[in-house]
Amino acid sequence: MGADMIRVLLCKTTMECHDRGVRYLATKLRDAGLEVIFMNFLEPREIIDTAIEEDVDVIGVSSSVEGHLPVAREVTRRLAELEKENVLVVFGGVIPERDIALLRETGVREVFGPGSSAAAIIEFIRANARVRSFKLESEP
Amino acid sequence: MSAAANTDQIPSETRPVDTAPNPDGVAGMAFPPQFTAEFVEASRALEQEWRANFDAVSRKFGVNPGDYERHTDSGLPVKPAYFPHDVAGQGYETLSAPGMFPFTRGLHPVQYQFMHWANQPVIGYGLPEETRKRMDYLQSQGMTGYFGNTFYNLVYDLVSHEGVDPDHPAAEGRVGQCGMAVYSREDDARLFDGLQLDRINVVHISYYEVLPVLAHYLAYARRRGVPWGRLGGNSMSWYYQSAYVGMTCFPPKAGMNLAVELVNFCTREMPRWNTVNIFGYGMEESGATAVEELAFSVATGIDYARACVASGLHPDQFLSRFGFQISQSNDFFEEICKIRALRRLWARKCQALGARDPKSMHVRIHTHTSGAMLTAQQPINNLIRTTLHAFGAALAGVQAMEVSTFDEALAIPTEHAHTLALRVQQIIQEESGITRVSDPLGGSYYVESLTNQLEAAAERIIEEVEARGGYHQCHDFVRTRIEASAARWRDLADAKERILVGMNKYQAAETQAIDIFKVNPDSERIAVERIRALRARRDTGRWGKAMSVLDDAARRFTAGEIGVLMPAMIEASDADATTGELMGVLKLHLGWAPPY
Repeated sequence: MGADMIRVLLCKTTMECHDRGVRYLATKLRDAGLEVIFMNFLEPREIIDTAIEEDVDVIGVSSSVEGHLPVAREVTRRLAELEKENVLVVFGGVIPERDIALLRETGVREVFGPGSSAAAIIEFIRANARVRSFKLESEP
Repeated sequence: MSAAANTDQIPSETRPVDTAPNPDGVAGMAFPPQFTAEFVEASRALEQEWRANFDAVSRKFGVNPGDYERHTDSGLPVKPAYFPHDVAGQGYETLSAPGMFPFTRGLHPVQYQFMHWANQPVIGYGLPEETRKRMDYLQSQGMTGYFGNTFYNLVYDLVSHEGVDPDHPAAEGRVGQCGMAVYSREDDARLFDGLQLDRINVVHISYYEVLPVLAHYLAYARRRGVPWGRLGGNSMSWYYQSAYVGMTCFPPKAGMNLAVELVNFCTREMPRWNTVNIFGYGMEESGATAVEELAFSVATGIDYARACVASGLHPDQFLSRFGFQISQSNDFFEEICKIRALRRLWARKCQALGARDPKSMHVRIHTHTSGAMLTAQQPINNLIRTTLHAFGAALAGVQAMEVSTFDEALAIPTEHAHTLALRVQQIIQEESGITRVSDPLGGSYYVESLTNQLEAAAERIIEEVEARGGYHQCHDFVRTRIEASAARWRDLADAKERILVGMNKYQAAETQAIDIFKVNPDSERIAVERIRALRARRDTGRWGKAMSVLDDAARRFTAGEIGVLMPAMIEASDADATTGELMGVLKLHLGWAPPY
């Protein structure tokens, strides 16, 4: 029996208080059986440091107050440098529609705006994250 | 955002007289029961008769009467109709009269008969000049405080909240976002030059950078020759919100001590200044129910007041400068009753703390209509929601209001959206006629019953907080409760048991057909250039000396000394220290980390 072990890094800049959504999402992903690492970041490079250290499959960045484009550019650029493009990067929060295409250009795979359901996000992650199956020694 | 309902701005000859010299009762009066025993019995019989009729209809709708139950959004049970006996057990002294203890019906003998609540829209984006433009524009559109004075409710940007300067690598993309790029005394000049500082009321919406931004304002005012004692406005002192939001913060006790430092400074130097703002709004926005907002707001106030008393102040020296910022959200009656319960609960708690002056027991409320209940979908619907929220707050009798703009769920407001939010207030104030009568819902069997329920439910949570050593000792408890409520709300929304029109019901295929505000892209570059130019231009010797004095003051503050920190910070600001530098000193001495 293999178990899906999708590891998700959820993060939000320390600078803002609009974290109700991302903290709710962290709970829902955990309840759905995903491994969740939640962090507040000051500089985008901290996201990458943590993502590498924790060997995550997904990076989810929540943004409610602008500043998402520089973060997306830095995160995707560093992932490419490290040849870790197989890490799925998604954004969520209050993202103006005109920025969605710009985010996608950087390599962000999906943007979940206000009102998105946790179920839709989980479905997207399951369908698109790299899947690593582990076999426990004791199992046939 | 603020509780800047600054009644001290009212000249003494017209200031509403507080007619409760003896707060232990209404002039010592004990009221006879509201209804005779015979009447109560008849009322109960009437309810039984009505209930049989209600149940019959219930069955026609396929609902077993035994299963019928309804709850407020906080989960309090409510009946389908209320009767006199529902309030018969309540002593009338718990309602009293407007302006009389325990202030359930309002703080003053008058509510809006001679003066409306203050319009206090939140303003702040981009460079200080850009924020000033919006301030002037809204003022020109009739934004009015007390006695025709203007109240400016100004929010600082994300970079300032984090306590860094705009050229910090983390600031990229966030300068002038969600607030104004004001980082120095010089920026205050760009913001306020030309305004008569002693004729305006300025709310500085800051998170943990409270002392630095006030230091800039005071250093600026001194250079303009305006005595600090003549300045009116608010500092927020929101340190306790690290219990329910994840921003980097000072440790809970250190934050509370910073508030105590400010309260002591203002008690001495600027008695008109509002020192602590109890930010219930932030709690409800983070997911707290109305009951939790009520309970945690009061618990915070008690804890901070206790710390001020421990520093040697008498409650009557500082409590009248505590204000409240309270959310007005979707459950119309529960939100109104929450405010009435808050007035009564706080008055009793302040009395227990030793306050004797009725003004010390007043809950001066700045309403912030809910942002969390506004939707990105079909955004114009938000105008209807905010009108209901503001209308409820007006019926509850609050002192000031910020009405969220209809584009709240999308971006910083456009001028158009900002103006419409102001019009919501003006239309209620000038057209609806509700300002004629104080506490217009007072005496409603339902409203009085629900007010009692909210008070009792909040009291139970307050007891729990107190048993844990007071608010600052139990941030985990507060966070866990609020997070659980946030999750419950969202689960109910997903299950369509909480309806948000356009979001989970009556959806329409649509794109955002409204203009979205964008901060001038040059603002960030200009702010960075300015801060660098300031550092290059300033008298380095003078700055270095002031920073070293501040460092020493912060060390003494950390060791428990009150009264040295704020003066040192003002001198450092006068020597052109920036917000990032001032915050840097505090972070070094007090600690600065995520709250969990």
